[in-house]
Amino acid sequence: MSQMRQQITEAAEALFADTPDWARLAEAGFPLLLVPEDVGGTGGGIGGDWGDAFAVLRVAGANALPHPLGEAMLAAHLLARADITQPPGLTVIGSGGGQWQGDRFTGWVAAVPWGRDADHVLAAIDTGADDPVMLLLPRPTTVTPGQSPAGEPRDRLDYVATSGLALGNADHSLYGAFLRTAQSSGALDAALTLAIDHVNARIQFGKPLSKLQAVQQSLAVLAQECAATAIAGAAAAQALDRGQGAMEMMAAKLRTNMAIHKGVALAHQVHGAIGFTQDYPLHRLTRRLMGWRSEFGGDRWAELLGAATMLETGQTLWTDITRRSDQ
Amino acid sequence: MATAFALPPFVQPEGAAQVRAGIRAFLAANPPPTDPVLRANCWSVADPAFSRALGSAGYLGMVWPTQYGGHARPPMERYIVLEELLAAGASVGAHWIADRQTGPLLLRYGTEAQRRRYLPGIAAGTLFACIGLSEPGAGSDLASVRSRADRVAGGWRLGGQKLWTSGAHHAHVMLALMRSEPGSERQQGLSQFLIDLSAPGVTIRPVIDLVGNHDFNEVFFDDVFIPDYALVGTEGQGWPQVTAELALERSGPERYLSSHALLVTLIDTARAAGAENPALNAVIGRLVAELWTLRQMSMATAAKLAGGGDPSVEAAIVKDLGNDFEQRLPLAIQSVLDLDLDASSPLVRVLAHLLQVSPSFSLRGGTREILRGIIARGLGLR
Repeated sequence: MSQMRQQITEAAEALFADTPDWARLAEAGFPLLLVPEDVGGTGGGIGGDWGDAFAVLRVAGANALPHPLGEAMLAAHLLARADITQPPGLTVIGSGGGQWQGDRFTGWVAAVPWGRDADHVLAAIDTGADDPVMLLLPRPTTVTPGQSPAGEPRDRLDYVATSGLALGNADHSLYGAFLRTAQSSGALDAALTLAIDHVNARIQFGKPLSKLQAVQQSLAVLAQECAATAIAGAAAAQALDRGQGAMEMMAAKLRTNMAIHKGVALAHQVHGAIGFTQDYPLHRLTRRLMGWRSEFGGDRWAELLGAATMLETGQTLWTDITRRSDQ
Repeated sequence: MATAFALPPFVQPEGAAQVRAGIRAFLAANPPPTDPVLRANCWSVADPAFSRALGSAGYLGMVWPTQYGGHARPPMERYIVLEELLAAGASVGAHWIADRQTGPLLLRYGTEAQRRRYLPGIAAGTLFACIGLSEPGAGSDLASVRSRADRVAGGWRLGGQKLWTSGAHHAHVMLALMRSEPGSERQQGLSQFLIDLSAPGVTIRPVIDLVGNHDFNEVFFDDVFIPDYALVGTEGQGWPQVTAELALERSGPERYLSSHALLVTLIDTARAAGAENPALNAVIGRLVAELWTLRQMSMATAAKLAGGGDPSVEAAIVKDLGNDFEQRLPLAIQSVLDLDLDASSPLVRVLAHLLQVSPSFSLRGGTREILRGIIARGLGLR
């Protein structure tokens, strides 16, 4: 780990565990992590890479941080990449549909994380054309509150002839998939830690649960799923830092979704009823994980990745996977 | 946060692409079998001529010093060669154990004479080895080994039986774990010996597996004399030597590529059939995501090993996840395809073959339960 990454990660670990409000997160510069140092307003961005973002967002996931940090980080990065000055306040990402004519947008953006609090949303809008158009939109005409399974805001934003800024044609939902992969990796690791502590402390049949072979084998499987998620996400970050990453982000999110499927069930199983209360912290992780599993492309990436694989011969699958790692 | 697998993703060394191009050119000149049944699980398929060609081309004993017939290449170059051979379905079964396990063990524990005697032949692809661990009463509970090596003038006398010995009928030597201290118990008093299988008193009998293949053998030692120099490493230290050897060889690419020939055949068959099948695409997409992830894990583990680290927990994770993947792969394909398993095409033959043999993948090289026990110990639970 680079020295800078270690410092940023340690700063995140200290701050995110301290139930910070949004102002403290913004003040510490985390939303501008993926913005170059010479852009991004006062003081500039942090100039971190995707590996740094992965490390910080893992910490956010492990702490069930109830803020749209990753969404803001991605919006700031995409704006910087498009040479747009960072607008003041909170900008998040989202996707929706509608009409974009004469610099006016009429339509909706669905399930926007903290949409009610956002000053801007950077949204991939399906206008019926082949590629979505990416629009920077101000506050909407109406906000319809919604929420994720974990109770986080997921709001519908409706716009009527709202003026916006078009940034070209792109779909950023893959970056969102990377964000959820990173958070899930942290949350799964934190769930494993809770589970280990629990089975070491909880006495049944006259001994700690951890001494039961069936419990050991369950936690070994949970640890495997944590490991697979962590390496998939880190490898996707590495590919992004090399200027690739589309296939890797898809694959990492798919693998993460499999890990959530198995991992959440196992973390709860070894906790018994104790893990099922409002007081015990496990649900803060597992309810988020279940929601993240469907956000930014659930298993639809599987069909896309499969269709892309089927464009070439069976042998090409291997040559393509290896080409991506040989630099 | 818990860190069961805190490995950085692996960065390929400079020149990786050239190494890959080299082994691919070799494979183009020495093509793997066209029958996908023989390309599946290909590290159990022996072709001594192919192994000899591989040795002549410098692809065996790649990382060993040149004075023993090796080629002093970096470990990650060897990894690239291995994964290319397996992905192509090359018949690497004859030399696999000798190159992967026996040679490195001799380099680590063997005497200078043992190295000079055996390593050049292994690197040439002409000397094959098998592993003598399991016995009728010692499977996962390896410490129950009862086969004996009794000290006699000038050497040892062997008695007992090994079982489930893969490839003994192709092998020239067996690296065996024997009880060398009479009356010793469990992990104590065990030693490793390199046994010439042509020695008088050695009998090798086939154990035919459930699909009719001859891979397993039972090997009997009836008062077999072996010379002093057959002892490998330190007398009485067989147990730690064996466990180190097993832990370090669990994370290779053979742990997730054993069913790869089926995936390749499926893609080619479905493309030839033409019709778009979204359900099949989704299954393939998930399998590709898993394949890519497992390769990252396996390479990262290999890199940690190459850097001098001890990745025994990571290796157990790679093997268990990899086995699970290569066992689910045929099942997932069976579920999504509407095919009769009537041996009427290469696809259904390789599918049927893997449906039958894949349960063994989580038995060989350490059962699933043993691996999960190792991981649980790594988590501090035992």
